[in-house]
Amino acid sequence: MAHVVLKDLVKTYGSFKAVNDVSLTVNDGEFVALVGPSGCGKTTTLNLVAGLTSITSGDIVIGDRVVNDLDPKDRDIAMVFQNYALYPQKSVYMNLAFPLQMRRLPRDEIDKKVKEAARVLDMTHLLERKPRELSGGQQQRVALGRALVRDPAVFLMDEPLSNLDAKLRVQMRSEIKRFHQDLKATIIYVTHDQLEAVTMADKMAVMNGGFLQQYDSPAQVFAHPVNMFVASFIGSPAMSLIPLEISTANGGTVLTSAEGWSLGLSPRNVQKVTKATTKKIVLGARHSTIKLHKSAVPGSIPAKVYTVEPTGDVTFVQAFLSGAIVNVSVPPNIAVTPDERIWLEFDQERMHLFDGETEMALEAS
Amino acid sequence: MLRNIWAHRADYAYVLPAIAVMLIVIAYPIYYTVELSFYKTPPGLQLRDKTFIGFDNYTTILTSEVFWKVTWNTLIWTFGSTFISFVLGFATALALHRDFVGRGVLRAILIIPWVISAVAASYIWKWIYHSDFGIIGAVLVGLGLADRPPNFIDNVSTVLPSLIVVNIWREFPFAMIMMMAGLQTVPDQLLRAAKVDGANAWQRFWHVTFPHLRNVSVVTILLLAVANFNSFIIPWIMTGGGPSNASHIWITHIYELAFGRQRWGVASAYSVLLFLILMALGYFYVRALSGNERKEGRA
Repeated sequence: MAHVVLKDLVKTYGSFKAVNDVSLTVNDGEFVALVGPSGCGKTTTLNLVAGLTSITSGDIVIGDRVVNDLDPKDRDIAMVFQNYALYPQKSVYMNLAFPLQMRRLPRDEIDKKVKEAARVLDMTHLLERKPRELSGGQQQRVALGRALVRDPAVFLMDEPLSNLDAKLRVQMRSEIKRFHQDLKATIIYVTHDQLEAVTMADKMAVMNGGFLQQYDSPAQVFAHPVNMFVASFIGSPAMSLIPLEISTANGGTVLTSAEGWSLGLSPRNVQKVTKATTKKIVLGARHSTIKLHKSAVPGSIPAKVYTVEPTGDVTFVQAFLSGAIVNVSVPPNIAVTPDERIWLEFDQERMHLFDGETEMALEAS
Repeated sequence: MLRNIWAHRADYAYVLPAIAVMLIVIAYPIYYTVELSFYKTPPGLQLRDKTFIGFDNYTTILTSEVFWKVTWNTLIWTFGSTFISFVLGFATALALHRDFVGRGVLRAILIIPWVISAVAASYIWKWIYHSDFGIIGAVLVGLGLADRPPNFIDNVSTVLPSLIVVNIWREFPFAMIMMMAGLQTVPDQLLRAAKVDGANAWQRFWHVTFPHLRNVSVVTILLLAVANFNSFIIPWIMTGGGPSNASHIWITHIYELAFGRQRWGVASAYSVLLFLILMALGYFYVRALSGNERKEGRA
């Protein structure tokens, strides 16, 4: 296994910058998820690491080698693709053996490695089958096996679970996580599903528009999103973002809404909003940090229920507030109906404040 | 069964005209050819003067020297044309599969031989090969490679290869188009996977592209083989089968027997044999096609 370093990585197609000065370090044995919406540059970044796409500028280091100009086969990487990319005319055995044959390993060594990989992934009984005779989950396991036999420095995975049905996806998610723990493999994993990234990765690199937005552990990204994009992308349901304005009332700093109400701030939050470059502030709050009241309590804000979504152990309430939709989770025994008037109370300790102009998170110094 | 037909009588009524036409223009001629093949038909006389002779026509054919000569020609013609057209078409398809300036123009030019009339092409090639006025001869003499223009199509040993060249020139674009269409269906992800697995360009072709094109290759080869087996225009117009049967293939030979020498019975027997051979080829064609569907159905 090895570490991977991306340094000022750029990929342009004509005048379009698909990957924009991305720098990050994947430590030896780390599971890193590249996550972001479609077209954010995450798959392009992975292809750059794989060598399937040539870089425009920057450096890629795998282990201790700069691999910028090396062919994929010389980079000591293995890749798992979204559609499995198994060779349809070859048996499972031959699929697993293929990368070893290409490296001209002796026949008995290939046989040993293939059987070992099949044993690890519990598919010895499938070795003689053709890919089309396997289920989606089995095919994906063969694809993992084909990466595994090579014993590469880095595993690259391009949305490997997105073709599976929901139940199988959860199951394969734990299998891949287990695979990572057992092998202590360095894995770079591309996904558009933030839940996959949060649940599996040691670190996640959130990308948008070709830029790396934030690179940190899932817990850190969740608790301290650096900007409004990361805040709204990570977490389900998404963090609610409410546009407000700074003003002073009774000598204190408050946030006022166009709807007329205002929200007092804790001293620490006041310190944060003074850092803003503009009067516009966006308040961010996750569903679990907002309290729902059926009547006005001090510090609460009036809102109107839009929809109610019971999920069993928790009910999600969406409410209109200052032109935004706010997600609140409540215990299932609390009954609210659409269009009902409610009062919301924000947790001063766990609310996020963003600069309305730069969209960056405001921090107290 | 009968009740079933009665229940669907309207449906049968709708297809009846089509069935009637097919019986008249396909089934009856086939039957009549088979029937004639068992009769002696005196030339120049009315066909009703025919006399039943059993398998005599077939024995005549199978024991004649010309039959074996023509069969041998047909085999060389069919396999030579089919194999080289396919390989050449496949190679051009691979060359045109990558992106380069002028690709569209080149593709359009390469398709021309396939779309122009075979009759026109045959006459043009006859001139190209001409021993006195042909451009090939002139070029060879001009370059000093020959003392005088070679006689391509009036020479027993060069006539068949010369005609095969024309045939390949005419039909390789068909193979090219088929294989180009096939190439577009090779999944890009598989090629990229093979790249990561360490396969070089040739190995990617051999392990990914070629297996993926197996079915379209089989279909292309069978279609070419049937078309070549049935060829008529090029050899008939360019040489009429000569000199001394050196470029006669089955179809031209049958045509000459029937409409040239009016040996209807023998020609019919030939046709029946040809029919059986083509039916066998047709069987493999259908099997290749349905094999395709079976696989796709399971995928």
